[in-house]
Amino acid sequence: MQSKPIALTILDIVSIIVLGVATYLALVFAPTELVMGDVQRVFYFHVGTAWVGLVGFVLAAVSGIAYLITKNMKWDRFEVAAVEVSTMFFFITIVLGSIWARPAWNTWWTWDPRLTTAAVTELIYIAYFMLRQGIEDPDKRARFGAVYALLGGLSAPITFMVIRLFRTIHPVVIGNASAEAQGGFDMTADMRTAFFFALFAFTVIFIDMMWHRIRLSSLQEKVEELKLNVSM
Amino acid sequence: METFPDTSGYMIAGFVIAFATMGIYIFSIYLRNRNLKSDLETLESLETKQSKKK
Amino acid sequence: MKTETNTAEHRPSSIIYRPSFFKATMAIVQKDLAAELRSRELLSAMLVFSMLVILIFNFALELDVKVRQSVTAGVLWTTFAFAGTLGLNRSMAVEKDRGCMDGLLLAPVDRSAIFFGKAISNLAFMLIVEAIVLPLYALLYNETRIFQPSFLGVILLGSIGYIAVGTLLSAMSVQTRTRDVLLPILLFPVAVPVLLASVKASGGLLNGATFAEILAPLNLLIVYDVIFIAVAFMVFDFVVEE
Repeated sequence: MQSKPIALTILDIVSIIVLGVATYLALVFAPTELVMGDVQRVFYFHVGTAWVGLVGFVLAAVSGIAYLITKNMKWDRFEVAAVEVSTMFFFITIVLGSIWARPAWNTWWTWDPRLTTAAVTELIYIAYFMLRQGIEDPDKRARFGAVYALLGGLSAPITFMVIRLFRTIHPVVIGNASAEAQGGFDMTADMRTAFFFALFAFTVIFIDMMWHRIRLSSLQEKVEELKLNVSM
Repeated sequence: METFPDTSGYMIAGFVIAFATMGIYIFSIYLRNRNLKSDLETLESLETKQSKKK
Repeated sequence: MKTETNTAEHRPSSIIYRPSFFKATMAIVQKDLAAELRSRELLSAMLVFSMLVILIFNFALELDVKVRQSVTAGVLWTTFAFAGTLGLNRSMAVEKDRGCMDGLLLAPVDRSAIFFGKAISNLAFMLIVEAIVLPLYALLYNETRIFQPSFLGVILLGSIGYIAVGTLLSAMSVQTRTRDVLLPILLFPVAVPVLLASVKASGGLLNGATFAEILAPLNLLIVYDVIFIAVAFMVFDFVVEE
C-alpha cells in the first residue's frame, strides 16, 4: 500500500479548517433570520450538502459512461466513491431540510417536488448499492453499477419535472410558497458570505472524502487480487 | 426590538445530525481501511510462506 | 436488372448466415409467444395476481364512486406495475435458468436484437394483461371512460416506457444473488417518472380533462420513452456480455 500522499494530508487539514469556518459563519457570523429564527442557520449546510450531493450523482453518471467506454476500473472506483459520498451528503440534506421544515412549514415532510425527488433519488442510490452487493464478479459489478448510475442520473430530472405537474394541479398550501420563499428570503451580505462559503467548504470536503474513498477501493482491489493469488 | 421565534433546539439538532453523519461516515472509511490493511498483511505473509514452500 | 443479383452467390462461405436485425428480433418474440402459448404460466400468474391486487384495493380503499373518481388511475397503474415486475422477472429468469440466454448470446445476431425481442414479448404480455384487466375493471365499476382511445394510448405509452427499463433491469437482476427480490427495488425508483406521468395523464382523462390539459404529462411520458429506449438499447450489450 502506497503511503498517504502529502497533498491528501494537506487537503484533510484544509477540509477541517473550512468546515470549522463554515460552521462559524453559519452559527455566529450570519445574522439570525427574522421570521424563522435560529433554525434558518441549517440552511447553509442544507444547500452546501445538496450541492455536492447533486454534483456527485452527475459525476457518477458521467463516470459510468466513461467506464462503459474505456472499461478502465479507475472509473468504477470514481463512480462508487461519488455515489457513496453523495448518498451520505444527500442524507444530511434531507434530514436538515426536514428539521427546518418542522418549525417553518409545521410539518416534517410534504410531498413537494424537491422533497419527493430527493427521496426518490436517495432510494435509487440505495438500490445501487444493493445491486452491487449481489454481484461477485468485479467486472460485472462495475458494468451493472455503471448502467444503473446512468439510468438513475437520467430518471431523477424527469422525476422532478413530472412531480412539478402534480403540484400545478393540486397546490399544497404549505410547500408551495415556502419552497419558493427559501431562495427568496432577503439574504443580507453576511448571509450571502456564509452561503457561498458553505458551498465552497462542502466542495472541498467532498473532494477530500472522494479521494479517501477511491483509495479505499484501490486497497480493496489489491486485497481481492491477493486473495485469488494465495488461494490458487 | 423584535423577538425571534425560538427555534434554536431544531438548529442544534440539525447541526448535531450533520456532524454525526459525516463523523460516522469518516469512521466507517477508517474502519474499512483498517480491516483491509490487516487482511493485506495476513495475505502477504501467507504468500511469502507459500513461495517459501515452493 | 442489377437489383436481381443473387445474394447467396456473393456471400463469402466463411461467414455464417446472419439474419437481419428485424428478423432476429421477431424470431425471439415468436419464440417467447409460442412458449407462452403452450405453458400459459406467465400470463395466468400475471392475471390472477392483477385480480387479487384489485380485489385488495377494493376493500383497502373502499372503492365507492367518490373515491374511484380520484384513485382509479392509481389503482390501475399500481396493478400493472406489480403484475409487470412479475412478468419481467419470470421471462428473464426462464432464459437464465434453462440456459437459453447463453444460446441467444451465441447466436450470430446483434445483441440489441435480443433486447428488442425480449422487450416486445414482455410488452405483449403486459398489454394482454391490460387488455383483460381494463374491461374487467370497467365492468366491475361501470367505468366506461376507460375505452376512449386517448386513455388507451396513454396506457400503451406508459407500458412501453415501463417495459423498456424493466427489460434492461431484469436482465441485470437475474444475474445477481438476490434475483427476484432485487428487480422491484431497482425498477420502481427509476420508473417513478413513467408511472407518475401515466397516472397523471390517465387520471386526467378519466375525469374529463381535454387533450390539451394532459399534454404536459404526455410529453414527459414520450420523452421518457424515447430516452430510455435509446439508453437501454445502447447499454444492453454491457448487461449481457460475459
